[in-house]
This record gives sequence, C-alpha cells and structure tokens, in this order.
Amino acid sequence: MTYIRHLKDIATGDPTAGGKMSRLADLARAGLTVPHAFVVTTDAFQAVAAACDLPSALDRELAGLDADDSAGLARAEQRLRECLAGAPVPAALTEAVTGAYEQLCATTRDALLPVAVRSSASTEDAVASSSAGQYDTYLGLAGAPAVLDGMLRCWGSLFGARALSYRIRSGLSHLDSTMAVGVMELVQARASGVAFSLNPVTGRRDRVVVEATFGFGEALVQGVVTPDHLEVGRADRRILSYAVGEKQIVSAMDHRAGQVVEVAMPELMRAQRVLTDDEIGALVGVVLAAEEMLGAPADVEWVIPRAYRPGDPVTLVQVRPVTTAVAPPPPSWDAAASALKYAFKGMPQ
Amino acid sequence: MSTVVPVDEFISDEWYPGFTPGRTDAGVYTEALSTFRKEDEDRFWLLDFHYPRGMVPLGYVFPEDGICFCTQQAAEGLPLPTSGGLGVRMAGPHIYTSEVPVTSRWAVGERVERIQRTLPATLERFQATWADRVSELNRGLAYFEGQSFEGRDLGDLARLYEEAVVFHRRAWTIHFEIMYPLLATYVGFHGTCLELGIDAAEISKFLQGYDSKIMETDRGLWELTRKARTEGLTEVFAATDATDLNTTLRADPAAKGWVAEFDAFLQTYGHRTEGIADVVLTPWIDDPVSPLGTIRTYLSKGSDHDFAGARAAAVAEREQAIDAARGRLTLEERHVFDAGLAACTSANFAWWNEDHNHYIDLRAHIPMRRAGLAIARTLGAERPDDGLFVFRPELRRLAAGHRDWGGIRKLVDERRDYYQHWLARRPTMPKVLGTVPDDMSDPVMREIFGTNAGFFAAMKQLGGDTSQVTSLSGVAASSGVARGIARVLHGAEELHRIEPGEILVCEATSPNWTPAFAKIAACVCDSGGTLTHASIVSREYRIPCVCGVGIATSTIRTGDEIEVDGTQGTVRILKRAE
Repeated sequence: MTYIRHLKDIATGDPTAGGKMSRLADLARAGLTVPHAFVVTTDAFQAVAAACDLPSALDRELAGLDADDSAGLARAEQRLRECLAGAPVPAALTEAVTGAYEQLCATTRDALLPVAVRSSASTEDAVASSSAGQYDTYLGLAGAPAVLDGMLRCWGSLFGARALSYRIRSGLSHLDSTMAVGVMELVQARASGVAFSLNPVTGRRDRVVVEATFGFGEALVQGVVTPDHLEVGRADRRILSYAVGEKQIVSAMDHRAGQVVEVAMPELMRAQRVLTDDEIGALVGVVLAAEEMLGAPADVEWVIPRAYRPGDPVTLVQVRPVTTAVAPPPPSWDAAASALKYAFKGMPQ
Repeated sequence: MSTVVPVDEFISDEWYPGFTPGRTDAGVYTEALSTFRKEDEDRFWLLDFHYPRGMVPLGYVFPEDGICFCTQQAAEGLPLPTSGGLGVRMAGPHIYTSEVPVTSRWAVGERVERIQRTLPATLERFQATWADRVSELNRGLAYFEGQSFEGRDLGDLARLYEEAVVFHRRAWTIHFEIMYPLLATYVGFHGTCLELGIDAAEISKFLQGYDSKIMETDRGLWELTRKARTEGLTEVFAATDATDLNTTLRADPAAKGWVAEFDAFLQTYGHRTEGIADVVLTPWIDDPVSPLGTIRTYLSKGSDHDFAGARAAAVAEREQAIDAARGRLTLEERHVFDAGLAACTSANFAWWNEDHNHYIDLRAHIPMRRAGLAIARTLGAERPDDGLFVFRPELRRLAAGHRDWGGIRKLVDERRDYYQHWLARRPTMPKVLGTVPDDMSDPVMREIFGTNAGFFAAMKQLGGDTSQVTSLSGVAASSGVARGIARVLHGAEELHRIEPGEILVCEATSPNWTPAFAKIAACVCDSGGTLTHASIVSREYRIPCVCGVGIATSTIRTGDEIEVDGTQGTVRILKRAE
C-alpha cells in the first residue's frame, strides 16, 4: 500500500496514479516540462473509503434510485460528497500527504505553495472517458490541511449526479469506481490554454490548433471566455491564422480566498493578443512532442509561466490522446471529382 | 410542399400566324423546341433573360439550333452526369428554358465514368483548343463579313443562307463545348475553396483582371471618346441626337479624321449587335447609333474611365486575395489550391465568359440576318426588315422558287403585330413557370441563370405583396457599398436613359450592356450568380453588384433611392420615389 507517489516514480500506465497523472509522468520522462507534482494514489482512496464505510453509504443512498430521478440523484450526490468530505483520514495518509506537500514547497522554495488538486480517474473509468470534466479540480489551495480537504472533495466528485446516473444506466458498480488525486505546483500563468495536434473540426492532421487566454486556463476550459484562436501548419510550422478573441473573463488567483476565481478581464487586456510568434513556435514544439510521446494526436492544456523568457519551454499541465478522430483523406485537386461533387446537384450518392 | 406556377395561360398550339410547328426543319438532338403542354408543369421553366425581345421567325434558328441542339449535344459530349442540356418552350415568341433531365440511373453512372476521363483532358488542351476555335470562328466570320449581300442572285443568297445556318450552329456548338467544362471546373474549384475554408466573397477575385475582347471593345470606345474631345467634337456630339450623329459627323469636314478612326474601330469591333443572338438588332457596322450614343454619353460625363487603373486595381486585388488565401492554408492545402487555381487560370471561365461573346453571342447570327433580309428584298418585300418575319423552312421554299413573296406578304404583317403584342406583354410575364424545385443540376442553369436557393425563395415571395418590401437579398457578386437613384430597365434599348451615378436595376445584363458600367454606381439583377455577366463586369469596373435578387425589378421602381451592399449581398430601398 503506497499512499503517495512522486511524479518521477510513476511508471507508464501505473493504475494507482490514474490516467491523467500517469500521462503527466510520461511527459516528464520524455523531457517535457511539467509542474512539480505528486499523486495521492487509489490505494489511499480505498483506505478512506473503508474508513468512512463508503459501501454502506452507497447502499443506503442509491437503493432503488432511478437514473432519471434528478432530484434523487442530487440528494444522493450531496450525501455521498458529505460522507467523503467528512471521512476520518487515516493518520498515515495525513502524514504522507503533509510530507509530500512540504517536499513540494521545499523543491519550489515556496513555504506556502499554491497547488492545483486534480482528480485523476483510472483509465478504465467509463464515466471519465465518456465525457471530460466530470470530476473536480481545485486551483490555488495552499497548506497541507487545504490540500487534504481538496483531496477529499475530489473523491466526492466520483459520485456527482451525472456520474451516478451514467453508472446506473450502464449497470456499472459504484464500488468499482476509484480515483487518484494529483497535487501539482500551481504554475503562475501569464497565459494558458489548450492545443490540439490536429484540426478537431476536420480531423485532418495538417494543422495544430491553439486556443489561448491570459491567466489560468480554467475560464477557457470551462468555456466562459472567448479565447484567441490560432492555427499553425504542421509541415512548415507557419502561423496560418490568428484571431484575437474578446476576452471578457479571466481566471486569476484570489490570494485572500486562497483559490483561483473568475473575474472580469481588465478592459485594456480584452482585445490584446495573448501569444507572440516565438511563444507559438515553442508551444507547437511541445504539442508535437506530446503527440510523439502518446503515439496519437494530442489534446493538451498548457501554461506560459509569468517568468517565461524567450527560449524557455512551455509547461504542459495535462495531456490526452485524441482517439476518436478518423482523419479524412488528405485534400487533393481532381478537376473531375470536384466538378462531380459541386457542379452537378442531385448526383446519386 | 412544392410551389407550382401554372403553365395554363401559355398552353397553346398557336405560334406565329401561319406557322406550323414540326415544320421547322430543325434537327433534334434529344428534345425538340415546342410550345407548352400541361405536363411541362412538372418541370421548372425560367423566362430566359438573355432574350428580352423574344424571337422573330428568322431568329427561331437560335433557340432550335443554338440552345436546344447545341446544349443537348454538349451535355452528351462532355457529358454532364445528370443534365441533358437545355430544353425550350415558347410562350409566343418568348423563350422559357429548363434542363433536360437524365433519369436513367444506368446512364448517370456511365456519364460519371466518362466525364472523369474527358474533363481533365479537356482542361489540359483548353488553351490550344480555344486558339483553334477562335481561328475557326475568325475564318468563318471573315468569310461572311467579306461577302456582299447586295446584287446577288437568289441562288447565291440561298447558298449563303444555308452556310450561315451551318456556321451559326457550329459557333454555338463551340460555345457549349467550351462553356460546360470550364463552368463545371470553376464550380468544382469554388467548392474546393469553400472546403479549404476560403471565404466565398474572395473566390471570385482569384480569376479577375484578365483582359477580354469585350473589355478591349470598351477601351476602344473610350479611346474614341478621348480623341473626339481632343479634336474638338464635344459640342457636335452634345448638340446632336444620337440617332443623327452618324449622318452629322460624316458630313462634318472637321470630323473627317475622327470618322476614319471610328470606321477602323467598327471594322474590328462593329460586327456585333446590342443583344445576344437576336437577328432583329442591326449590327453596329450597319447602324452605329449605339457606339456613337455611348461615346456621346462618355463625353457628357466629362471624366475619363481609367481602364489601366481599374485593371491594375483588379489585378492587385486578385493577387492580394490569392496571397491572403494561400497564407491561411497548410502546405498540403496550398498544393491543392495551387493546382486548382492553375487549372482555372489556364481554363479561366470568368475570362472566357466575356471573351467568347465577341466571336459568338453578339455576332454569329449576323450572317443569317443578312442572308434572310437579302432574300426577302430580292423577292420584292416592301420593308427592309420583312425578312425577319419568315421562318427557316419558308425562306428555303421562297429562295428555291417554290413559293412567292405575294403569298406571304399578309402573314408578315400579322406576324409583325403578333411580335409587337408579345413584346408589350413581356414585362408582365411570369419569370418562372412549373414546379419550383429544391435545386437544379445543369451548371448553366444554376450558375449563369442563378437559379439557386435564394432565387427560389424570392420567387415564392413574389406570390405575395412585394410593395412593402424594403430589404432584398441576393448573391454578393461584387464587393462595396453604394447609394443612389435606381434606374429599372427591361431592355438594352433603354440603356441611354441611364444617368451617371444611378444604380442599374434589371433582370440581367448582357455583353452589350457593358458600356453602361462605366456610368453606374452599382448594379442589381433579378437573375444570375457570381459568374454572370453583370458580376464579372462589376468586378472589372469595381462597382458593387448583387445578383439573383429575384424580385428587384418588380419591387424597386425607377427614382427610388436605394443602397446596394455587394459585400453582404443586400439591397435596401431607402426612399420611395414620389
């Protein structure tokens, strides 16, 4: 039983680290820049689940619950989240997490390091793979007690109403659900965003598509901000288009509240271009490196730290393989084929 | 639910008085020209805006041979997968056009196979083919234009007429042999560009700025205008009615040098009429009232049209549009774009669609007109244009001596009345008849006639009251915004009414309308798409243009103050005329 693993100790596909953190470890091993981090393993989750008698709570709350009963699901979610949030944490786990956090502080030379606490669902978790963003993430927590609290809340998100409904509908056991939690240095972001090593609209792999905003990436990931949108040719790394978004909202650190919050973007920054050409070049480099590491088109979340200097690497905070896209045949010019497709309507298919 | 415009009022066995259908002597390719039958209501028919006066009897050879035979032949030749070319129904002398459907699935499959082999080969050879066709057309035109039709005996004239009919059909064979593959390729390229994420408004710019024979003619008119000004003829022009200019100038010793230059211009560019394939119209070289009237208007306008500047701007805009489009494409996409653009630049539909009018549309019917009129004159017709009211088989019998003019004299008078009656009726005739479809297959119908979704929607709107409509939409054909007073025209003969700065509103324009584009502030057409004459010329003259509006001529009135947004494809009526 290991409660804590440091990133460098996580082997590829280690089931106790969850998919998200195990891929982050792979990135680090491939020489890419990722935040300093450790993982609270699924073993730790099992220990806490046992301590709060999660199986009985599940039986009690979910007996006879219908997948379409949204009020009942909401009620069950609330009680199960409370159950985990108030769970008695084994002393060994508290000690391990506190130690790992202090180690992280020491590594980064920051006594009260703000961290991101992220759910890292197991790769077999059908809920996680059915739709991204199901499970919680807490940004900007500082101090071991806050980290422990965030950890428990992440675990509670295993029993969100949508997840419960999905498992009931699919006949999956709630007890089989397990989750690791990643605790990573919150990289102080000047800019952040997402990037795809393919065109997510056409499925073609001839361009890298990037969305970018100022500050932390949360507002962009949640879809509450219109980001800058840019596309880069894979073959020649040329910037094909750069559309500056009207960025009304920004995710920023609220130091008093100890968390990242969404606030109005300062007027002067709204229509400002987020990325320089050099930064775009660096970003495309790491996106394609991540793709090579995955052996599949990559969907990444990236950060350009405040301290970023030209030539520095871009930090990746998350990576996912894009497995669903089937690339259409590459475009070609064929006068007859184009004429048949466009010049004559009513063609038999 | 499908919209059906009944054909009942046009179902008739009545042609021109004394004329029996089925006796036209026309060869039929797949579907013969006829009058309307009830079953024609199942198809979609468009009142053909290219022929606003309809056809006189002598001119029936054009819808029979030029439209029916030649489009059907070309549609088989390429072939078009699902269209058998165009069919024609006559409502009086007026032409309604439809596509001849190809319904057999087996035939469509085979046609798809064939076009995949023929189209690339046709494009590959286009430059050489068109050069060959131009020299063939030039040889034919030179042959007829070198003939005197005066003082020839009937046998000579009969032979010349038969030669003229053969030449006319050959010219229109060439017309559609070229038009279909070029148009299909351009439309394919257009679709490919959209697939590559290129903005539709940009695509038509890629092929603009190439000089055509028609632009060359317009430039000649401007050069003559400049010359008239430097030679002090401005006042003579201003003081003389357009119809009297020819006589006045030729009698004026001060104009001698200018007239010599004008005659040289006519030798090159004057073998053309003020409309497509219409034998009614007198060629410029026989009566230069039209070019002289145009020069007169240009002189009164005072300023000069900067052809070199407009062309340089069109070229600059083209190159800029191409660079901008390429800049947004990946390496792989650029290869596709470059290959498509190269094919379309070499076989440039936008350019050809202007250029060929000089050899075919405005010209190839003139020998038939000359021979027909000469035969009638020789037989003792009273009026010089009586020959216009004789059909092809009648003319043959007359020329062969099987019939005499006395036997046809009364018919000619009746047919003149019939023609005038239908000419007056034309503005109120339905623009469409039959069943309004979801889409059309023939690229000429879709791209040249502009029978697209917006057009069909406007047609449906026509059923209701359009008097309250103040905002119209169509195809964004040439970018820019202009405001001005509307001038609604139903035919080219009214072109001289246009005042500089007005906005032209019409069913559609033809190459003979081109000189007006130097005067107008914008252009609005009921029909057409980005490839019709008005669109192409508007881009060359750099004025806003919206096509395919459908209800422009029935909604906008002359004198209305309107705004044309050629970038968005909208027209707004700002203030109604009193």
